[in-house]
Amino acid sequence: MAQVKLFGGLQRKAGTTAVTIPGSNIQALLQNLFVTHPELETAVTDDQHHLQPHVRVMVNGHDIELGDGLETAVTDQDVIAIFPPIAGG
Amino acid sequence: MEGWAGKILDIDLTSGSIETLPLDMEMARLFLGGRGLGARLLWDLVGPEVKPLDPENALIFTTGPITASSSQTSNRFNVSTKSPLTNTLLHANSGGWWGMQFKRTGYDAMIIRGKSETPVMISITEAGISIDDASDLWGKTVFETTEALGQDRNKRNVLCIGPAGENLVRIAAIMNDKERSLARGGAGAVMGSKNLKAIVVEGKEKNKPADKDQFKFMLYETGKLIKASPLTSQALPEFGTTVVMNVVNEIGALPTRNFQESQFEDAHKISGETITDTILVKNQACWACPITCTRITKTASGEEGEGPEFESAWAFGAQCGVGDLDAITEANFLCNDLGIDTISMGNTIGCAMEMAEKGFIDNDLRFGDATKFKELIRETAYREGLGDDLAEGSYRLAEKYGAPELSMTVKKLELPAYDPRGMQGQGLVYATSNRGACHETGNMLGPEVLSLPRLIDRFATQGKAGIVSVHQNSAAVIDSLVYCKFSAMAVAEEFFARTLTAVTGQLFTADDLMKVGERVWNLERLYNLREGFTSADDTLPDRLLNVPVAEGPSEGFVANLDPMLVEYYQFRGWDENGVPKPEKLEELGLAELVQPVM
Repeated sequence: MAQVKLFGGLQRKAGTTAVTIPGSNIQALLQNLFVTHPELETAVTDDQHHLQPHVRVMVNGHDIELGDGLETAVTDQDVIAIFPPIAGG
Repeated sequence: MEGWAGKILDIDLTSGSIETLPLDMEMARLFLGGRGLGARLLWDLVGPEVKPLDPENALIFTTGPITASSSQTSNRFNVSTKSPLTNTLLHANSGGWWGMQFKRTGYDAMIIRGKSETPVMISITEAGISIDDASDLWGKTVFETTEALGQDRNKRNVLCIGPAGENLVRIAAIMNDKERSLARGGAGAVMGSKNLKAIVVEGKEKNKPADKDQFKFMLYETGKLIKASPLTSQALPEFGTTVVMNVVNEIGALPTRNFQESQFEDAHKISGETITDTILVKNQACWACPITCTRITKTASGEEGEGPEFESAWAFGAQCGVGDLDAITEANFLCNDLGIDTISMGNTIGCAMEMAEKGFIDNDLRFGDATKFKELIRETAYREGLGDDLAEGSYRLAEKYGAPELSMTVKKLELPAYDPRGMQGQGLVYATSNRGACHETGNMLGPEVLSLPRLIDRFATQGKAGIVSVHQNSAAVIDSLVYCKFSAMAVAEEFFARTLTAVTGQLFTADDLMKVGERVWNLERLYNLREGFTSADDTLPDRLLNVPVAEGPSEGFVANLDPMLVEYYQFRGWDENGVPKPEKLEELGLAELVQPVM
């Protein structure tokens, strides 16, 4: 199972900073995540199961938008990071 | 006033003269205010023969046409001068209340020249404008001075320097409203060199919009967008600017231990999430700002104040290998009280830590050890012991002890919290920023990481020059209006143009504004060229250019600057030496200005 790190308001919603979730790609992993943490679903995806605007998902520090999107493959060794909308700097 | 007050206050501290000059309205239309107007005035007033700490250097405070209009985030103001840290043109801006209050005194700008023989302060109130003795304030800290002069948020606002500015520390800030700062580049030292301790303002004049109905409409529409954006209505209020700590770390672009690494194992301990969960007391907003990103925090030992912002948390945190949030926060408070730029202070301490570990200086400073922060900051402000070297900034410190390669600076200004090896465009921003390494003049965090407005490959170099140039121009115009850059996360230039049109009664389009931004950028470039800077100064520290990141998501990358620079000069309409071509100057209305000197 891959490690999924949660940031920003997602930590509060889930009550944790990280979980381990199975899934062969991001789409499957998110579906499994929403089973164990249904409170995250609307914060991360919309009705069409697309990522909400400004939500970033990374695999080992690389944004999936520049990879295969929700089809990006995931292995048990990967670290997934999910960021809600954030700004600053 | 409708946008511009049409007046500049001109004070000569040598002669004690106080005069009112008319604002050249053609100049105002071309450069707007803030950073742009500051650069334009500095061009005329401070030539290459003037050294930064000479009485002949000018300290120019500028507001913008929207300042004090009540448009969202219309509180900011700018200072322009020649920097004692970089010798470049310097612009720095700050929020809070002082800028709004100064505008309400009926002036767009204030030029301060000369040098008083003894410590003085300037008062601008309904009772008049005066230069008064400030001997009893000299030596006091920022907090003491602000309190002594009767800071009253919406009525009477204090801007001052602390001991660092008095002692000509090259990384000294000018502070306003107690804990806001014109931080970068050592403007505090310029103020100190003039024996000017403080400027107090009380104003009653209103910046009334020329078109009230249109202004109200824009106020309403802008407010709706700021409220609708999760960035400005949720992320920034809930977690503050430091919420980006984790994402910058996650992608392998968080400079750690003086840029030796690009990920910090304790990033989560100094993140916005942890600040909110542990030390946050409440949010605070600048005048006319609905975003409320300011953090009021309290440490375990009971110290309370503003901060830390992301850059400060990084500078005393990852840059120094420190994950102790209380120590970082208290270092931030102390910098505010003594009047020091937190980015340069933390970056310079990180440099000193590496120098000590490698034996270049005889000191037991070590990465990860926060116990000496307060001692080092005090020593810097008062120029005692090692602090006398730290007060010179990272470059002069490292050069003095034979290790200039350990200084993480561009044009002698300390780098902020992004490793260009993991964000190639950010490297180009740092290398070409007119005030030295600066993220505020075209931050690529948006497009390279946060997908604002859309995501681009952070490791790519081809095509980055155009995006960087547009970001730089956009930042320059926001700094000239003067708005807060966070408002631009919710609204586009079109909104700024329509609000500016409503306030001034003069038509401005978004294209007009972007042209102002390009004009400002080019004028700043011309200023630095006149000072003797060349394309050779558009570079990055050797470590970033030649030492690949050892591990993490940016593993194997160096900052691939050269191809981006070639593209950048072409995109900007500059020659291969980075000099704006005559046709570009003609297009921007700058040709006549530079004719006598180029």
